[in-house]
Formats: sequence, C-alpha cells, structure tokens
Amino acid sequence: MTLLGVVPSTFSGGAEALALVVLLTEFAMLRAPLSRSQIRLYAFQSLAVSSLAVFVAATQHIDDLYVLAGLSFVLKVVLVPGIVLRLLGDSPVDLAGSNRFGVATMVLFAIGISVFGFFVVGSLPVHSHSLPAPALGLAMAVILVAFLLVILRADVVSQAVGFFSLENGVSVASLVVAAGLPLIVEVAFLFDLLVAVVVFGVLMRVHHGRAKTLSTETLDRLRG
Amino acid sequence: MGWDLLLVLTVPLAVSVVCWWAPVALGRALTLGSGLLTFVLAAVLVPAKTTTALSGWLRADALSVVFLVAVTFLYAVTAIFTIGYMQPAGDARTTATYSRRLLAGLNLFAWAMAMTPLVNGLALLWVAIEVTTVISALLVAIDDTDRATEAAWKYVLIASMGLGIALLGTIIMYYAGASVFGSAYELFYPKLLGAAGHFPPQVVRLSFVLAVLGYGTKMGLVPVHTWLPDAHSEAPTPVSALLSGALLAVSFYAILRFYEVTERAIGPEFPRNVLLAFGVASILLAALYLASQRDLKRLLAYSSVEHMGVLAIGMSISSPIAVVGVLLHVLAHAAAKGTAFFGAGSVVRKFGTKDMTRIRGGIGALPWTGPMLVLAVLALSGMPPFGVFRSEFLIVSGGLADPRGAVAAVLVVGVTLGMLGLSWFTTRTMLTPSPDHPPRGETSNWIVCSMVIGLVALAVLGVHPPGQLSDLLTRAADELGAKI
Amino acid sequence: MGDIQLASAQIQVLQVLTIVVFSPLVSGAIAHLEARWQGRRGPRILQPYYDLAKLFSKETLVPEDAGWVFVVGPMVAFMCYMVVPLLIPVLTTYPMPLGYMGDILGGAFILALAGFSVALAAAETGGPYAQLGSSRAMTFGALIEPSILFITFTVALLTTTDLPYFEAAAARASLSQVIRPAHLLVALAFFLVVLNDTGRIPVETHSSTLEFGMIDEARTLEHSGPLFALLRWGSAMKQMILYVLLVNVFVAPWGLAGSRAAGSVLLAIVILLGKAFGVGAIFTVIDNSFSKLRLFKITEFMAGAFLLAILAVLVLYLGGG
Repeated sequence: MTLLGVVPSTFSGGAEALALVVLLTEFAMLRAPLSRSQIRLYAFQSLAVSSLAVFVAATQHIDDLYVLAGLSFVLKVVLVPGIVLRLLGDSPVDLAGSNRFGVATMVLFAIGISVFGFFVVGSLPVHSHSLPAPALGLAMAVILVAFLLVILRADVVSQAVGFFSLENGVSVASLVVAAGLPLIVEVAFLFDLLVAVVVFGVLMRVHHGRAKTLSTETLDRLRG
Repeated sequence: MGWDLLLVLTVPLAVSVVCWWAPVALGRALTLGSGLLTFVLAAVLVPAKTTTALSGWLRADALSVVFLVAVTFLYAVTAIFTIGYMQPAGDARTTATYSRRLLAGLNLFAWAMAMTPLVNGLALLWVAIEVTTVISALLVAIDDTDRATEAAWKYVLIASMGLGIALLGTIIMYYAGASVFGSAYELFYPKLLGAAGHFPPQVVRLSFVLAVLGYGTKMGLVPVHTWLPDAHSEAPTPVSALLSGALLAVSFYAILRFYEVTERAIGPEFPRNVLLAFGVASILLAALYLASQRDLKRLLAYSSVEHMGVLAIGMSISSPIAVVGVLLHVLAHAAAKGTAFFGAGSVVRKFGTKDMTRIRGGIGALPWTGPMLVLAVLALSGMPPFGVFRSEFLIVSGGLADPRGAVAAVLVVGVTLGMLGLSWFTTRTMLTPSPDHPPRGETSNWIVCSMVIGLVALAVLGVHPPGQLSDLLTRAADELGAKI
Repeated sequence: MGDIQLASAQIQVLQVLTIVVFSPLVSGAIAHLEARWQGRRGPRILQPYYDLAKLFSKETLVPEDAGWVFVVGPMVAFMCYMVVPLLIPVLTTYPMPLGYMGDILGGAFILALAGFSVALAAAETGGPYAQLGSSRAMTFGALIEPSILFITFTVALLTTTDLPYFEAAAARASLSQVIRPAHLLVALAFFLVVLNDTGRIPVETHSSTLEFGMIDEARTLEHSGPLFALLRWGSAMKQMILYVLLVNVFVAPWGLAGSRAAGSVLLAIVILLGKAFGVGAIFTVIDNSFSKLRLFKITEFMAGAFLLAILAVLVLYLGGG
C-alpha cells in the first residue's frame, strides 16, 4: 500500500483543505435556495481563493501574488457581490427555487461529475511547486460543478454565480499550475471579470425588468 | 510600421467615445471614416513582414494580418450599411439615443475584434476575446425586446462559460511552457513556438482540447454553438454581420494560435483529428438545420455554423493548399456573410418580418438588394465566380490529395446539403412572384452601396485575388506549419 | 493508587460499564442543558436514572397479537450496545484483547443489528405509529449506509486497516495527520452520521411528541415497563457509543489512558465524560439553531454526508490528500 507512505506535509494538507473549502462552497451554491445566500457563498468562496493565493505567496515567496490576492479580495469578495446584491436590491422575488431536479439528485450528479474531473486530472503528470497536485483535481471539480450549476438551476442569479465561480475554479487551477503567471496578465483577467460582471448585471436587470422574475423558465422563445 | 498597429487600435476606440456623446450625423460620418481608415491601415500591412509595437505586446505577422483584413473590411462595409440602416425615420430604432449607442457599440466591437489578432501572446488573446464577448452581448440586447434579451442572456452565459474553459486551456499551456522557461515568463507567440518542441505532450494535448472547446463555443462549432442562431437573429443587422463575419473568424484565429503551438509540440496528427471531429459535426448538423429553417436571419446564422465547420475541416486536412484555402475562406466568408446579412436586413426592413413563409416577391420589391441577396446566398453556397467557391475548391482539392479522402467527401456532401437549404428558401422568398408585395423601391442607397462593395470584393477574391494577398495567404499558411 | 495496575480484562469490563453506567447521565445532562438554553429550568441531570428505575418497577404489557420478537427485540438491542464498546477505544490508546474481534464495519453491523431488532419489535405490535417509525428508520438507515461505507473506506486508506484504534493513533501521531483533508472530511461526514443516528435536528426533533415527525422515537411507543426501560437505556448507550467514536476516533483522540495504571484509566473516564458533554453541548446548539428538515428533504442531508465521505476517498485516492 503506497498511500500510507505519502502523508502530506502540514503545508500541503492545509492548502488542500483550503481548496476543498472552495469545492464544498460550490456544492453549497448548487443547493442554496436563496439568490442572496448564493451570492454570499460566492463571496465566501472568493475569500477562500484569495487566502489560497496569500498562502502560496507566503510559501513560495512570489510577491506578485500578494498584489493579486489583494486585488481579487477587493474585486471578488467586496465589489462583485456588492454590485450583484445591489442590482438585486429591489427585486422582491428572493427565492431562486428553480431546481429542475431535487437537491439530492443534483448533489449526486455533481458528485459524479466531480469524480470524472478528478480522474481526468489524475491521469495527467502534473508536478506543482506551489500547491499539491490534487488541488488541480479539486479545481477541475469546481469548474465542472459550476457548469452543473448553470445547467441545472433555472434562474439568472444562479447562472451568473455559476459563471463567476467557474472563474474561481480557474483561479485555483492557475495557482496550482501557473503561480508565476505575470501580474499584468492576471490583472487583465480580473479586469475582464469585472466587465463581465457588469454586463451580467445589466442583463439580469433587463431580464428582471421585462419578465418580473429572476427565473429563466420564460426564456424559451428562441428555438430551432 | 508600429504606428500602423497603434492607429488601428486607437482610432475606433476614440471614435466610439465620440459617438457616445456627439450628434448622430457626426457619429455616422466618423464611423464611416474610421472603418475606411482601419481597412486602409490593414491593407498597408499586407505586404509587410512581421510588425511589432509597444515593446512586443502588439505583433502582426501574416496570420494576424489575414484576420485583421477580414475584420476591418467588414467593419468598413458595415459602417456604410449602418448609415442606411439608421435612415428611415419614425421608427423606435432611430431615436437619437439608440443610434448613438449602436454607433458607439459598433466601433467598440470593431476595436476589440481588431485588437484580437494584434495582441501578442495567448493570455492577452483571451482577454481580447472576452472583451469582444461582453461588448457584443450588450449589442445583441440593444433592441430591448424580450427576444433580444433572451438571446443576449444565452449568448453571454454560454460564451462566457466557454471562455472560462479557454482560460483554463491557456493556463495549462502556460504550465506546459513553464517546464522550459521556468515559472515566470510571458506567453509571447515567438517564444512559445520556438520552444514548443520541448513541452510535455500530454499537457499540450489537454490544453488544445480545452482551447478548441472554449474558443469553439465562440466560433460556433457544434455541439457548443447553441447561442449562435439566437444571437445572430435577434441582434440588429449590422451587429449580426459583424458577429457572423468577423467575430467567429477571430475566435477561429484563437484556435489557430493554439494549433500552431500544439502542432510544433506534438505534431499535426492530434490537433487535426480534434478539429475534424468538431468540423464534421458542425457541417452536418448545420446542413440539417438549414433545411428546416423559416427565419431568414437564423438561416444565415446556421450557414455560419456550416462555414465554421468548413474552416475546421479545412485545417484538419494536411495539405498546404487546404490551409491556404482555409485562410482565403475566412476572407471570403466575411465578405459573403456580411453582404448576405445586409440583404437580409434590407428585406426584413421592407417586409417587416423575418418569417420566410411570409416573404414573397423580394426581387419585385427590392430591385437592387433583392438580386444581390440572391447572389450573396449563391456565393455562400459556393457558386463560382465568387471567393467562397475558390476557397472551398482549394480545401476540397487539398482534401482529395489527403490520405483520408473521405474527409473531402464529407465536406462536399455537407456543403451541398447546406446549399440546398440555403438556396431553396432564399430563392423562394426572393424569386417567387407575388402580386401583393410592398411598393417597389430601395430603403436606402447606402445599403445598396455596401452590398455592391461586398459582391465586388467576393468576385475579386474568386476570379483573381491580388498578388500581394495570395502572397500573404501563403506566408500565413507557412506560419501554420503548411509549407508549400 | 497510581501504581495499581489493572488487568486487561478489568479494563475491558470497565469500558462496557462506563458506557452502561454513564450513558443516562450524558442524556440527562444534554436534556438539562438544552432546557437551559431554551429558557426552561429543565429536568434534573439525574432524571434518566429515576425514569429507568420507575420503568423497571412496572409490569410488562405485551399486546395480544405480538409474538416473542416483541420481548426479545429490546434485549437483543441492549446486548448489542454492550458488545460495541469492546471494539472501540473508549478509555485506552492501546487495543484491548477483544478489540480485534471486529473492525469499524463490524461495529456498524452490530449497531445496525440493534436498530433492526428494535424495528422488528416495534413492527411486531401492528401499531401504526410504531410501524411508521420502523419503516422510516430502516429507510433512512439504508440511505446513510453508503456514507458509513465510504467513511470506512477512508479510514482503511488512511491507516491501511479499518480498526478504529489505528485511526485514532494516526490522528494522535502528528498535526499533519489531523489537518489532512481526508481526515477533516471523514470527521465531518461522521459527525453528520452521528447527527442522523442519534435522531437530532435537522433529521428529527428528538423531544417532539408529534408522531408524524418521528422516526426513531416512534418505534418505542408500544413498549412499556422494563422493556421500554431497556429501549430507553439502549438508545442512551447508542448515543454515547457514537459520541465516543466521534471524539475518540476522529475529532479528539487525546486524553485516553496510555497505560494500565488505575489512576490514568479513571482519569480517562472523567475526561471521556467531559468530552461527551462537550459533544452533547455542540449537538444542543445545533438543535437550538436549526429547524427540522421536512421528511422528504432528509435525503438532502444524506446527500451532504455522502458528498463529504466520497470526497474524502477521492482526495485520498488521487495523491495522498
């Protein structure tokens, strides 16, 4: 049994546990019944991602990552959830209760697809200096569950949050395999996210203004 | 020549800002000027060798210039068309606010698309493409109808998810490079291409698949094309033209950049097979949808899916002549699809509907744009003497020389099926005489003008492409690893 | 007193006795604490002992149609609960002679046998609520089973055995063992399992008198007198056994006796009671801050536990997590 030999160090155990928090938050978003709680979960997830960045910055002595962690904290923990919550401010419909399947079924789907992600990444020869390799599997699982969130939940907030958290998953992946990515590029990514958030927000508002609901059930006119 | 690149990137941006504030008439004039100027600037780059600016962050090699020409050409003719599109008064669409927004958006959109082939490096490429997504999503929603909102939401959601995957692909390619360059480096193309031979194959493979899946979403490859018909049909016509002719092309450009690296890292076999799978799916499914379409603009949208399939299949053929064909196809498709959308816009405006079962006697009502729409559709279906015929001919003849001859057969069958649906519906709406069609007359001479330019360009591409252009295509194919 | 060495057999007996004797105390303390938090004065901490004494002094009533299972069921269950403490680290860090009789799965089987015999005894009466409780208990028991299995797998992967002693020893060995994600996940998953098996919110309101929401509680409605006392006592023991497993195997395997000295063993009993009260307090907080799930939403809870357990296996399987 080889597994016994590889007890992870305290460092990588802690890092992995943080990455795990990101994934568990993603699952929580999948089942969260309220739009607002979903957004708060997103903020929490972003906080975990930022902490992970600080963690890597401290252990790998990559100073750029401190800047990145700070920026992503301001943007993804404060600004984006703030903007979205504000946009939702006057929508009286708080329930995102739009599940096409029961929660248990969704979670089982998500477990299945996470397992798939784990094995896809597990077959890759990835060696990372910054974070333990299984974190890449976790990131992949986050991305896939984010897809599920977009597909299975039929309301605009879930779908938008699904996209935002997909980006969080990619961030974790980039911390694992590309911690040294130039700062300017990372900043460009973040800026892009901000623009995308604004566009998502505008369209969410337009949709809510027209349909008087956050549900996407009515968005079935275009076919063929 | 660096000033050239900077000018291409600053003029549309500045015009966009001015359009937001200035009176509509001034905005229209500036848009037209900007479109023509950028096209000229792009044309200047055609004979040039690789140009760089901003200490290497901007870079235009032959491949970039091909796509830059396609984008700026379409930008210029769309600018002409837009003047006509905005002309008739008394419509909600012609309020000053709407016009200013549309003009500002169009310029910004063109700016983002021109930027995409000019930035140097896979990471900035992703940033540029994401910028095109957010701008075009707002443009799709600009009509502010239920259907437009729905289309915009689907578009921004699906495309953003796709780009998320593409970002993952980019990061994994970065990881592949890190095995050569160490953990911190810039993802510039020449650097990547130079060292690609030492990248770990497994990682490059995953990266390429993710990139094709991600950028393929924007490009409209089946099965991740689902946003495309909605967005194309609900957007204002100038936006549809740019989406179809230019945006899909620059997304293909992004895939080509990944192809370049992958081809040098692990050889052409794997990336070609991936593209082949997506291409065949696209061309066949699009042909089916083309045969059962009632909405004129959706018909053209599915034709775009089909042509993207042609591009993907073309790249999967190993002969250099096919690669030249693919690049020519990018240009020809931009001109043909732009022209067809302009015609469709004219028809929709005249008849007040997109439903092809209710449009009859198009040629009677529209003496100029009617026949030109038919010509554009025939050009799209691959009829000589237009550019699409030449490019598809090159691709198929490359495919016949390929050991996998079946590829060429699939291509021909798909294109023929597509042509069937496309020409059947269009000719029926246009050529079937109808006594009660709306009064004869064009809505705007600007629209006629834009279509004439498009068709002339198509004919030139088809009959005898300028020598310098052919030279450019050959050099670009060379960069893609297909040496003649 | 410190130099009195106890024989293995004595400690073994002491393990069982600790559970048997102190489990009503733990239940009483929790009930008392819960009442206090709700602003009531609550029953005395020793109330469960008085209840048991009262019940044992009453006569046994057996419904006319019930057969021998009705009588034997509670006894079998009680005996099962007395066997399980032999297998798990109640007081000592070192395994007892009979500790190798069964692994975690074995313990789970014996607990399941106890639950099964109680359900059978309840169903024997034909009373509608008792049968309702039985069927629900078996259903949810089956649903939580996959989580228990995956917890076992994880423990097996972590320690290469599935003996609870070794999992506890691994966690004691180093901080990195405690902080490794697989361990955290499996501890959390087991916490949820305990929450379910002891019939606490959000699965069941354990102090409710509303039959429709009952699961475990409904099974005892038809019993009376000494048989009912055995059931009550048994359920208190089950609760304490699960607490012991939670703290001594997963969460806090510290404070166990490392030697056979009588002093350290007695100290271990005191510490164990402290830890059990602590866990009870946490459960009480959860009880008071969440609401019960609708019956059909309980599957969500099960899915959550399953998620944690399967993730534990996954992170472990793919690279040492």
